[in-house]
Amino acid sequence: MIQNILNELAADPWGVAGKWFALAPAAVLLLAAAAAVVARNLVRAALALTLSFMALGVLFISLGAEFLGFVQLMVYVGAVAMLIVFAILLTRPDRLRRTATALRGAGPAAGVVIGLVTLGGLLGVISTSPLAAGTKCAPAATAPVARIGEVLMGSHVAALLAVGVLLTAALVGAAILAIEDK
Amino acid sequence: MSEFLETAPVWLKDWVLGLLAGFGVPGWILDLVAAGMVVGTCIGIFLGLFALMSVMERKILARCQNRYGPNRVGPFGLFQPVADGIKMITKEDIVPAAADRVVHFLAPVVMMVPALLVLAILPYGRDLVPVQLDAGILYFFAVGAGTEVAVFMAGWSSNNKYSVIGAMRAIAQMISYEMPLVIAALTAAMVSGSLAPQAIVEAQGPAGFLPGWYVFTPWGFVAALIFYTCALAESNRCPFDLPEGESELVAGHLTEYSGFKYATFFMAEYIGMFAICGLFVTLFLGGWQAPLPALGFVPSWVWFFAKVCAVAGSMVWVRATLPRLRIDHMLGFAWKFLLPMGFVTFLAAACWHYAGRGPAGWLASLAIVGAAYVALSANFSRRFSLERRVYQFSE
Repeated sequence: MIQNILNELAADPWGVAGKWFALAPAAVLLLAAAAAVVARNLVRAALALTLSFMALGVLFISLGAEFLGFVQLMVYVGAVAMLIVFAILLTRPDRLRRTATALRGAGPAAGVVIGLVTLGGLLGVISTSPLAAGTKCAPAATAPVARIGEVLMGSHVAALLAVGVLLTAALVGAAILAIEDK
Repeated sequence: MSEFLETAPVWLKDWVLGLLAGFGVPGWILDLVAAGMVVGTCIGIFLGLFALMSVMERKILARCQNRYGPNRVGPFGLFQPVADGIKMITKEDIVPAAADRVVHFLAPVVMMVPALLVLAILPYGRDLVPVQLDAGILYFFAVGAGTEVAVFMAGWSSNNKYSVIGAMRAIAQMISYEMPLVIAALTAAMVSGSLAPQAIVEAQGPAGFLPGWYVFTPWGFVAALIFYTCALAESNRCPFDLPEGESELVAGHLTEYSGFKYATFFMAEYIGMFAICGLFVTLFLGGWQAPLPALGFVPSWVWFFAKVCAVAGSMVWVRATLPRLRIDHMLGFAWKFLLPMGFVTFLAAACWHYAGRGPAGWLASLAIVGAAYVALSANFSRRFSLERRVYQFSE
C-alpha cells in the first residue's frame, strides 16, 4: 500500500499532490460546517459558516468550475455572510435569548427533519441524473466563462430577466420597509 | 535593446530554470521554483512599492501642509520605512484581556490574504500575467470579498465599542461602494467583450496615432471617475477614511491592534490600494499600453508601473486636499448618485458600441451621460441643502 503510494509519487508527484490537495477544501468545508452547528457563540458560528462558504468556493474551483467558484465567493462570502453578521449585531441579545429558549426543544428535531428532507432531495436528483456513473467532468476548456455568458443571454434569457425582475422587486420592497420605518 | 528589456523578466526566469535543469534538478522542483519566482517577484515588488509609498505619502502630505516631512533617516529620509519596520516589530503586542484571542490573531492574516491573491491576475506587461484567467475581473472582486470578513473579525474580536462601530461602518461602506465599483468595471468588460484583464488591455490598443484608452471616451471617463471614487472608498482612503476616523472612533477596527499585527493591517491596506490602482489602470488607462506608439520603445511593464504609481500618487493628493465625509453623506452619495450614474454609464457604453464606436456614438454617449449627471446632481444638491450646523457641546 505504502510502496504503491511512494511509486506513484515518484512517477507523478504533481498528480498525486493534486489528488490529495483536492480533498483539503472538502475536509475544511465539513469541519467548518460542523463547527458552525456546534459553536455556542453566535458570531463564532457565523464565522465558521463563512469559512465553509469559502471552502465550498475553493472546492468548486478545484473541480474546474471556475465561474461557479467565483460567484460562490462573491455572493456568499461577500454578501450572505455579511448579511448574517449584520443580522446578529443588530438584533437585541435579550430577545435573541428568549427565542433560543423557546426553540430549545424544537430546534434539534427541526434540524434533523430539514437535514433529512435536503438529503432526500439531493439523493433523488443524483439518482435520476441523466449522466451515467463514472462520467468524467468536462475539462475546463470546453466550458469557458464566455460559453456560460452565451447560454445565459441566449437560450436562458427568459430566466435571467425573471431573476432580474425578482431582485428588483425585493430591492423596492426593502426600500419601502426602510421608508415606513421613519 | 527595447526588445530585450521587454522580455527581460521572462528571459531571466527561463535562464534560471535552464541553469537548474542543467544541474539535473527534477521537473517538479523546477515547477515549484518557477511558481515561487513569480510569486516572490510580485510580493517583493509590491512590498517595495509599499515601503516607498509609506515615505512618499508622508513627504507629499508634509509638502501640501507646508512642512518638510521625514528627512532624518538616510538621504532625503528614504530609509524611514526601515526605521518604521524595526519600530513596528519591536513594539509590544497587546491583546485585550476580554478579546477573542483566536479571531483577534487571525484577522490580520485574513486581511493580508485577499490583498496578495488579487495581484495574480493583473497584466503587468505584454507577456507578464502571473495567472491567465478567463474571468479575471470576477476573480478580483470574488477574492476581495474576504477583506470585509477580516474587518469584521478585527472589529468584533477586539471586544471594544469603537472597534465594532468602526467595523460596521467599514463594512457598510465597502458593500455600498462595491456595487458602483463593479458596474463601472463591467462597462469596460462589456465594451471589450471579455472578463480577462489581458484582453481588456489589448482592446485599448492605439487608435491611429492616439491612445485608444477607455478613459478618453465619454462613458469611459465617467466610469473611470466612478471607479476611482469607489476605489478610494474600498481601500478606506481619505475622504472615505471614516471607519478609522481618529477624532471620533480612535481608529475603528484597528483600535486594539499594536505592533506587527497593526503593521500587517497597514501593509494589507496599501497593497490592496496598489492592486485596485492596477485594476483601474488595466480597465481604463490602457494597462501596459504606451500612450503614443512612438513611445513603444519603453518596455510595457515600465508603463504599467508608472501608471500605477501616478494613480496612487493622485490618491495621496486627494487625501491632502479633501476633508473627511460624514457617514450619512457618504452612504447617500453611493446609493443615490454613484449607483444610478453607474447604470446610466453602462447604458451609454452600450449606445457607444451600437452607434459604431465613431463620432456618432461619442456624441450619443456624451449626451446620455451629461443629461444623467445634470439630473442626478440637481436632485442630490436639493436633498442635501446646506444649513447652519448647531453644535451642542462645543463653543
